[in-house]
Amino acid sequence: MMGFDLAALLGALGLGSAFALVGVVLASWMCWRIADKAGLPGWAGAGTILLTLTGIGSVVSLILLWVFAFMRWPRDGAPAAAGFAPAPGAAGPAPPPPSALPPPSPALADRRGWKLVGNGVALALEDGQASYLLTAEGSGAPRELVLADPSVGRPHARLLTAAGRLGLEDLGTAGGTFVDGARLLPAHGPRDITAVRALKFGNVVLALSRS
Amino acid sequence: MWTLIAWLVGLGTFFLIAMLAVHVLFALLLIVPTWRICERAGYSGLLSLFHLLPVLGSFIVMAVLAFGDWPNGEGKAAAAAAVRP
Repeated sequence: MMGFDLAALLGALGLGSAFALVGVVLASWMCWRIADKAGLPGWAGAGTILLTLTGIGSVVSLILLWVFAFMRWPRDGAPAAAGFAPAPGAAGPAPPPPSALPPPSPALADRRGWKLVGNGVALALEDGQASYLLTAEGSGAPRELVLADPSVGRPHARLLTAAGRLGLEDLGTAGGTFVDGARLLPAHGPRDITAVRALKFGNVVLALSRS
Repeated sequence: MWTLIAWLVGLGTFFLIAMLAVHVLFALLLIVPTWRICERAGYSGLLSLFHLLPVLGSFIVMAVLAFGDWPNGEGKAAAAAAVRP
């Protein structure tokens, strides 16, 4: 039956036409898959090839190939597809909140320092195994962070750096120390503030960021 | 006699070169967009040079793009199909 059909097809269309038919079907199938992988509907890819069977010819297919190559693919907007950030202004699902992100790989540890900025003050801390003393009045000692304000103690707090992490310890002052709005007491001991954004020493509010 | 043969060889060479030039020109129209598609998929753009191979070249490029796993990741529809039990 199959042999008869094939013979009839070859007889009716000729060997070249039969090969062309097989080629068009094969190309349509592959273009369906390529469009699907780019995030586009598969029929768009297959339709591009099938257009060559119409009177339009292959010019439109060629134009569509160029459009496909340089257009924005829906795949590029998918957040979990390849880790690429979507293009600015591109429509797509909202990124997940920071809490949903996986922890950073230890192999890619952030070795940058920190900076405390606010109220006209900019304090810098280097990464490494070190202890910084935050005080209102400097004595010239190394690793001293001077924050000249009446509400800041002498000393006020201790900042500890250790391999990409930052800790904060309140030394028991009247002005108090606040981590993202929450009071830090001396009884709490050193607190990991690596992911903290705002610190308050007495009445001085400082923004914490990586330098 | 020899003049006729030389004339025919010259004409044949001219047509051969002309056909080659037209083929390369048309291949370039396919190579440029395919180069970009290959790079966006995560493959080397050199893969698109298969278009220089007459007839079969385009099918080879399409087959690699259609049936290979894209190093730069694939769209949602394909990813969903891949994890579907």
